[in-house]
Amino acid sequence: MKRYALILTLVMALAAGFGCAKKTTSEPAYDDGMTPEMRAAIEQITDARVYFAFDKFNIQPEYKDMLKTKADLLKKYSSIRVRIEGNCDERGTQEYNLALGERRARASYEYLVTLGVNPGQLEMISYGKENPAVQGSGEAAWSKNRRDDFRVIAH
Amino acid sequence: MKKLLLLLVFGGWLISGNSVQAAMRVDIYGPGQNIVNLALAAPIRGPQTEATGMGAKLQQIVQQNLSFLPFMRLTDPKAVLGGTVLAGYEPPSLDFKRFQLAGSDIVVTTYWPEGDNGTRPVQIRAFETNTGGRLFGKEYPKVSSKDLPEVADRFCADLLETLTGDGSFFRSTLAFVKKNGKMNANVWLVKPTGRDLRQITNMPGESMSPAWSPDGRFVVFSHIDKQSHALGVWDRASGKVQRIRFPGNVVIGPAFTPDNKVAVALSNGKYPVIFLLNHVFQKERILEGGNSINVSPTFDKTGTKMAFTSSRMGGPQIFLKDLGSGSVTRVSKNGTYNTEANLSPDGTLVVYSRMTEYGHRIFVQDMMTGEERQITFGPGSDEQPSFCADSYFIAFASTRGGHGIYLTTRHGGDAKQVPTGGAAYFPRWGLPGGGKK
Repeated sequence: MKRYALILTLVMALAAGFGCAKKTTSEPAYDDGMTPEMRAAIEQITDARVYFAFDKFNIQPEYKDMLKTKADLLKKYSSIRVRIEGNCDERGTQEYNLALGERRARASYEYLVTLGVNPGQLEMISYGKENPAVQGSGEAAWSKNRRDDFRVIAH
Repeated sequence: MKKLLLLLVFGGWLISGNSVQAAMRVDIYGPGQNIVNLALAAPIRGPQTEATGMGAKLQQIVQQNLSFLPFMRLTDPKAVLGGTVLAGYEPPSLDFKRFQLAGSDIVVTTYWPEGDNGTRPVQIRAFETNTGGRLFGKEYPKVSSKDLPEVADRFCADLLETLTGDGSFFRSTLAFVKKNGKMNANVWLVKPTGRDLRQITNMPGESMSPAWSPDGRFVVFSHIDKQSHALGVWDRASGKVQRIRFPGNVVIGPAFTPDNKVAVALSNGKYPVIFLLNHVFQKERILEGGNSINVSPTFDKTGTKMAFTSSRMGGPQIFLKDLGSGSVTRVSKNGTYNTEANLSPDGTLVVYSRMTEYGHRIFVQDMMTGEERQITFGPGSDEQPSFCADSYFIAFASTRGGHGIYLTTRHGGDAKQVPTGGAAYFPRWGLPGGGKK
């Protein structure tokens, strides 16, 4: 019984100790070894999406600068690995959309590699129309769902 | 041994008798489809003694089953003068005249010689009312209450085969996908009549495009989780599911060939191409590829023809490949977005969905004449058509009244919903046990 009481006291003391340590850290929620610059880079890589026209997978000119920024950041932070997720709107059929989503993911992948990104930092997947960013029908929703998402999976 | 026993118990045996064997045939494939009027005589356990236990229950299930046949009209028992409780179950004590007067072409009698409680045999016969000739007669021994749906399905399959030459509908099981939220869907099975609903996979992620093996042992499907695509394989023998990865990014729309191999779209360079896998699900060779999207293979029962979806001419269209000569011809010529082809097992028709301004609609094209017909008209979106082994029934997914699975035929007509208890997609017909009778 005495032994259990001792263990409980120790555990409580350790927990209190950790609690105090966190309070003294300047950025308690982000204590993941990242510099603010790297965190900003990850946000830039993930926040901006590439959008596509219906049944198309070519990169439109307005997204080329954005991909260039992503490429520069990926080259600067070579530890960052990104999964490019190709998506479609709800109008097409599932199997064809899985293939189209892959072509969309591949379009961004190839553009980034052409700009000098190490292919080892990139992977691709297609979710077809199974992972919409926006619910609803109509071009306003559809145009937001025909997209590539960029998800950081390691850094 | 267990299978053999089940077959003996439910398979039944043909009844011999003195009545004339009739040979009535119903053409369900031609353009002028016949309507058959069928009367179900009340089940009896003796002369004019109605079987109100299992007899009544079996009658009810048979009635429900037959309501799925669009070419069959059941005679209202009230229209039969003198009623449907008969003095006998076969000639000469069977009075055909009352059924003729009610407009019935066929009368079905059900006889429980030892009563209809407990475990008892039942005899079911079908007669042509005009000639009195017997179309069909079988005894199903040792029938208990829990066996009634199985007996009803076997009888209906036998009757359908007698009339049309193919009883696959009642021997089939649909594999389909049931959604349970975003990026969460599993594979289920259900009889086309809505019975025997059960879940066969339970995996996080999205399952799609289930397809039965011709021997009814496996269901393969695409499986997509957050990280990857894979080929899912459910083995009916063990009940276990494998998830098989392939190099590349996609595993789309698997389908079995008639010799139990799988064709599936996999990555190969820039575009997905259709690969043939060997019996242990390893890449064997490319069936169709090139600098365009090629997905969704489907085969006729000879395995010599493959229909598929390709973007080789811009938008997605349906193509047909002769696997012997290698020649490819375009099938869909109207519309800008035709996908999800399914070849009829007899190779005479291809069914596919087309994007229209009102949503997707299902079309059938005759492979001999090239004539195309629209067979569904919404409302909502009609997708993922799939032919039954009889090349007559077509199951499809529709958003009419929520996401569900519906049945129609190669001729179109009113669609009937398959009860699935939730949002359902990707119906694919299969014959567990290879469709053995």
